[in-house]
Amino acid sequence: MTMDAQTASDRKRNMRRLSPTELKRPKESLRDRMSIILRSRVAIIGLVIVLFWVWVAIFAPVISVHDPLAQDATAINQGPSAQYLLGTDALGRDVLARLAYGSRTILMLAPLSVLAAVIVGTFLGLVGGYFGGLVDEIVMRILDAIMAFPTILLYLIIIAAIGPSAINVVIAITFVGAPGVARLVRSLALDIRVRDYIRAAELRGESPWYIMFFEILPNARGPLIIDSMLRVGYAIFAIGTLGFLGLGLPPPTPDWGGMISAARKYIWTNPLSVLWPALAISSLVVGLNLFADGLREESTRYQ
Amino acid sequence: MAKYILRRLGFMALTMLLVSIAIFTISELAPGDVARHILGQFATPEQVELMRNQMGLNQPVYVRYVDWLVGNDWRLNGLVGKPLKQYKATTFGDLNWWAAEPDGTLKQWKVKKGVGLVEVRVTPGGEPEEIPFDGWQVDENGEEVFWGVDTASHVVLWRRSSTEQKVGPASAGRAMTEASGERYYPIRKGLLRGDPGISQRTNKPVAPTLARRLRNSFTLAGIAFLIIMPLALLFGILAGLQEGSRMDRVISVLSLITTSVPEFASGVFLILVFAFWLKLLPGAAVYASDIAPWKDPKLLILPVLTLTLVEIGYVTRMTRASMIEVMNAPYIRTAYLKGLPYWRIVFKHAVRNALMAPITVIMLHVNWLVGGIVVVESVFGYPGLGLYLLDSALFKDINAIEAGAMVMVALAVGTQLIADILYTFLNPRIRYT
Repeated sequence: MTMDAQTASDRKRNMRRLSPTELKRPKESLRDRMSIILRSRVAIIGLVIVLFWVWVAIFAPVISVHDPLAQDATAINQGPSAQYLLGTDALGRDVLARLAYGSRTILMLAPLSVLAAVIVGTFLGLVGGYFGGLVDEIVMRILDAIMAFPTILLYLIIIAAIGPSAINVVIAITFVGAPGVARLVRSLALDIRVRDYIRAAELRGESPWYIMFFEILPNARGPLIIDSMLRVGYAIFAIGTLGFLGLGLPPPTPDWGGMISAARKYIWTNPLSVLWPALAISSLVVGLNLFADGLREESTRYQ
Repeated sequence: MAKYILRRLGFMALTMLLVSIAIFTISELAPGDVARHILGQFATPEQVELMRNQMGLNQPVYVRYVDWLVGNDWRLNGLVGKPLKQYKATTFGDLNWWAAEPDGTLKQWKVKKGVGLVEVRVTPGGEPEEIPFDGWQVDENGEEVFWGVDTASHVVLWRRSSTEQKVGPASAGRAMTEASGERYYPIRKGLLRGDPGISQRTNKPVAPTLARRLRNSFTLAGIAFLIIMPLALLFGILAGLQEGSRMDRVISVLSLITTSVPEFASGVFLILVFAFWLKLLPGAAVYASDIAPWKDPKLLILPVLTLTLVEIGYVTRMTRASMIEVMNAPYIRTAYLKGLPYWRIVFKHAVRNALMAPITVIMLHVNWLVGGIVVVESVFGYPGLGLYLLDSALFKDINAIEAGAMVMVALAVGTQLIADILYTFLNPRIRYT
């Protein structure tokens, strides 16, 4: 659960450095943005790792010879062999196939849950930040109460209540992540709403919703995008943790966290089958964070 | 300041109240129930119903919540007609509820096979004895009934006709010693009066288990904290001295990597390296029930190391950020221009100011530390609070969940308060009113 805390602090720095200049800066071309990425070696390494897993996810059916759910009773808990390149698990399923299909699960769920959290959080943050007053007070107090919860407790309670499934994992991560997004968007909205072009829009007689979503939101997108990228890494971390604790996807689905907790029991007889998924999820989160962090460093350095 | 602290404590109490209500409500809405969990897959619907009756689950949720919060012995007094008291009859027995007579004798009742209802009587200090029962009262339908206290702390309505025929399905589950009563109300003292109740999963009082688990978790987190802080502050300061230097880049990337690796993955790596390949350390931290973890320190090494790996990067990065900010501050430049020696600028001017932010922010980090502890405990089977809460949540053991959650929320909100207060001392420019 460390990632969110770290990003929270980084976010603070980020906002302070980004928002004033970001808002005035003319639009960057795609080429400018690419050159920012390419300037940071760390970001490139991160990007390569992430792209590797995206490639695995896309070509999962090609990479895996075996069905990720097919059980081979003659090959239970085996080490790597010619038939099963990374070995098999306790039910005789191909670890390679489960890894490949597991990357699909996690790479689909993580961005989805971040997207949901960003949508909910943005909405709440804009409403609170733009309207202010009592609305803001109520929204922020509720979000504060949610954020006072230890994150893991929230996950436990939510998943225990609605049961483990793919969509419920997304709901839980949205619920836990949205308050952070809302705080960020609110502070940006508070900053932006006193600007002249918002006054102008108000004088034109635009509706509050138009101002929120077409005047404020586009101007808050810089910090929001970087925050979201860091959140994807955190979401993968969280999905893995939920899977490991038995709160993730129900058993037959290939899921890295679940694979680790299942193989953990057989670590003395088949140590490699727990190593692979652990390496997989670590490399993916590390890759994403290296990429997001490198990007952030580079985009704030030359301003 | 006192007013501010009082207000914050009030807010903390309010948060805990809301959290406890939320947990009760959610567990009520959630599918599956604890009676089914206790009895297992093959229990008949009748057995489950009986169990629910015994556990008081058939009462409305708000009644159960109030019972949980403030207890119900003062309410159930009326049914029995005598005051209810907690008393430990035998040295190794549990603290049970008894009905107290004016002369000080305490009474319980139980159903004996082939006999029917018998009375258990004890005078404080003496041995309990069983005597025949003849206290039946006639209700409005002309049947003989009796409200009493059973040996497992319920207020029970017995009906003579059924106690003499029926003896509970003892095979169905450990908690069903008697199933002869018609109505059951579990007696509770209530959380506000210091009793979090009985865990439905282990059938033992929550409080002592929770205290032991909390002690274990504190041991784990405390040792990790003692390792993390000096190292992380040192690395953070070294990295932050010169932003962009080689040292900075190495430390930053390494700390980013260690915080990015999930606890369960780094735990697995450590087990594989130190327990499986090098065979130096045990790969799990399973203790005999009551042993304090520091009595077997070898088992603690890997869990502490896992927690350290995950947390150290975070604190390092915090310190680094703060240090960079300070090193760019005008007063550091002034100190340079005054011609002060470098080490003096660093130690006297920079470090002291740079440590302010990380120390308070680390207090706010407790939320994530708790999360890390749950996972680490689950990886190593370490008997701490996190694992207790996880097991309880999976079992829907509401008393244990509530008690654990209250402890965690109190810790989280409490440390935030301490962080804020600490900050006013470190930074005199801030005043709370």
